[in-house]
Amino acid sequence: MDLTFAHRFVKVNGINMHFAEKTPSLVADYGAFDGALRPPPVILLLHGFPELWYTWRHQMAALSSLGYRTIAPDLRGYGDTEAPESADAYTSLHVVGDLIGLIDEVVGDREKVFVVGHDWGAIIAWHLCLLRPDRVKALVNMSVVFEPWSLKRKPISVFKSFYGDDYYICRFQEYGEIEAEFAKVGTERVLMELLTYRDPGPILLPKGKSYDDPVSLPSWLTEYDVKYYVSKFEKNGFTGPVNYYRNMDRTWEMMGPFSNAQVKVPVKFIIGDQDLTYHIPGTKKYIHDGRFKSHVPLLDEVVVIKGGGHFIHEERPDEISKHIHDYFLTF
Amino acid sequence: MEHRKLRGNGVDIHVAIQGPSDGPVVLLIHGFPTLWYSWRHQIPGLAALGYRAVAPDLRGYGDSDAPSEISSYTCFHLVGDMIAVISALTEDKVFVVGHDWGALIAWYLCLFRPDKVKALVNLSVPFSFGPKDPTVKPIDVLRKFYGDDFYMCRFQEVGEIEAEISEVGVERVVRRILTYRTPRPLILPKDKSFWGPKDETIPLPSWLTEEDVAYYVSKFQEKGYTGGVNYYRNFDRNNELFAPWVGCKIQVPTKFAIGEQDLVYHFPGAREYIHGPKFKEEVPLLEEPVVIEGAAHFVNQEKPQEILQLIVDFISKF
Repeated sequence: MDLTFAHRFVKVNGINMHFAEKTPSLVADYGAFDGALRPPPVILLLHGFPELWYTWRHQMAALSSLGYRTIAPDLRGYGDTEAPESADAYTSLHVVGDLIGLIDEVVGDREKVFVVGHDWGAIIAWHLCLLRPDRVKALVNMSVVFEPWSLKRKPISVFKSFYGDDYYICRFQEYGEIEAEFAKVGTERVLMELLTYRDPGPILLPKGKSYDDPVSLPSWLTEYDVKYYVSKFEKNGFTGPVNYYRNMDRTWEMMGPFSNAQVKVPVKFIIGDQDLTYHIPGTKKYIHDGRFKSHVPLLDEVVVIKGGGHFIHEERPDEISKHIHDYFLTF
Repeated sequence: MEHRKLRGNGVDIHVAIQGPSDGPVVLLIHGFPTLWYSWRHQIPGLAALGYRAVAPDLRGYGDSDAPSEISSYTCFHLVGDMIAVISALTEDKVFVVGHDWGALIAWYLCLFRPDKVKALVNLSVPFSFGPKDPTVKPIDVLRKFYGDDFYMCRFQEVGEIEAEISEVGVERVVRRILTYRTPRPLILPKDKSFWGPKDETIPLPSWLTEEDVAYYVSKFQEKGYTGGVNYYRNFDRNNELFAPWVGCKIQVPTKFAIGEQDLVYHFPGAREYIHGPKFKEEVPLLEEPVVIEGAAHFVNQEKPQEILQLIVDFISKF
C-alpha cells in the first residue's frame, strides 16, 4: 500500500494550517470513473483527540487509489498546524472557519466536498454541516452522534452531573492542570493509554491515578505509528487539543441560533459496538429509536461494527474505507 | 396589541404582538438606540392586513433582560434570541423586517437560518457589513478611517459613554439622536459639544411627538444604554466568530431601503456598494434598492406610511 503523502501548508482564518494530501494517479482517475477528465471528487477527513491527520493514512491510500482527492488537515492546535495562544480561540466556530478557509483555498470557493469525521472531527463535521450545508456533498461520520442544541444542557455541567469531577472532560477544564499531569506521566504513556482504551465505560482520570500497569500495543497500532504521534505531541504539548474541551461551553453559548436546526446533509454513521461512546447511557436507544434520524433527516444508514472499538477506522481500515467509498459512490 | 415575555435563549424577551394568531408572522427588529416602539406605525397596519406583527425589545433594551456580561451580546446571542422568539410563536418560516442593528441581526439570521425566513425587508444597513476577513479587527479599521471620536470607537471603553450620557441627561440624548439629520459619519468629540448647550431645547420634527420621546426616555432611564452599547463592544469578537460564513451569500428574497439623508448612506463606499454590482452579488435575491427621498436614519418612524406600504407590497408576493 502506497503510504506516501504530499504535505502542504496554507494560511486560513489567521492560522497556518498543515494538511496531508493524496490524490489519484492519472491511471486511477480514468479507471474508477467514467473516463472523462474531471477534477476528482474531494474528501475532507477530520481527525479527533488525541490524534492527527495520520489517523487517516489507510483511508487516504485506499480512497485515492479509487479516484478521490483526499485531504486530511491537522486541526488547529494539533501537529504541524498553528496553535493560537488564546485559550478561547478553539470554539467550533473557529475550527469550522478554518475548514471553510481550507476548502476555499485548496478546492475552490464555490465547491462542495465529501467529509469524513471521527471523534472531535465528527463533532466539527456536524457543526460544519449545520453552519454551511452548502459546502458539504455528503458525510460519513464515526463514533459521535449529533445531538441537537439544548438550552438546558450546558455541556460541562451535564458531564459533571453524569460522571463526576474525575470524568476526563471535567479534568481537562482547568487551564494548565492536565498538561502538568500529562508531562509527569510522559507523552508516550499518555498517548498509549488513550489510544488503547477499550473499556466501554467513561474515561475517569482521578488525581493521583497511576499509569504503571503495562500497556501493550493492539494489532492495529505499530511502534512506528506511536512514534509518529509521540513526536508531534511532544513538540507541541496537549494544550491546543485540550482547549477544544475548554471551549465546549463557549461553543454551546454561541449555538442558540441553531436551536432546533436539523443536519440537512446526507449522512452515513458508523460506530463500533465496543466504542465507549456507544455505551454512553441513552445513546444506543437514541441511535436506533428514530430520534437520531429526526435530527438528521437524511441519515441514510447506521452501521454498528461488531467488536469494533473507538478508533474504528484504524482497527478496521479496509472495512471503513469500503463503507466510505460505497456511500460516496451514490452521489 | 398585547405585550408578552418569551423565554428561549436564556433571557426574557419582551414582545409587542398584534394580529390574528394564525396570521403569517412578521418579525420587526429595531436598532440602536430605539425599541419595539419604533415600529408603532407599522404594527397595526400589518395586523389589519392579517399578518401577525411581532416586535421585540432586543436583549439589553426596554422590558427585555439585560445580562451583565459584555460577552453575552455577540451576534450569536442576538440571533439566538430571535430564533427563540420565532420558535415560541410558529414552526413556519417568518417574514423579517430589520432597521439599523436590527437589519444587521436580520442579515445574520438569514445567513445562519435561511430555513426560517420567507423574505426579508431591511432598512438602512446594507450587507456590506457582512462577514469579511476574520483576521481583521473592525474597531482598528474604524479608528483608522474615522478617528477615535467616531461614535463606535467612543462606545468601546466600558462606562465612558454611559457616564457622558448620564451627565448630558437621557432626555437630551434621545432628542438629539432621533433628530440627527447630518449626512455624515457620527462623530462625538469628548468635549460633549455634540449634544449642544444644556439650555437650548431641541425642537421635535412633525413625525415625533412629546409622548414618543417620553416613552423612549422612560425606558432608557430605567435600563440605561449599556445593553445597546455592548453590541458595539463585540464587533471584534463577532468578526472572529463569523469565519465560517466568509463568502456566504444571503439566499433569502430581500428588499432594501434607505433614507436619502441617512448617515449610513453617506458612509464612504456605501452608495457604490448599494447601487453597484456587489450588493446583488452577495444577495442574489435582492430587489432593486430603494432610496427614500427626504428621509434620514430613523426612516420607519419618519416615513411610517411609505415604509408600511413598502413592507406590505413586498411580503404580499410570498
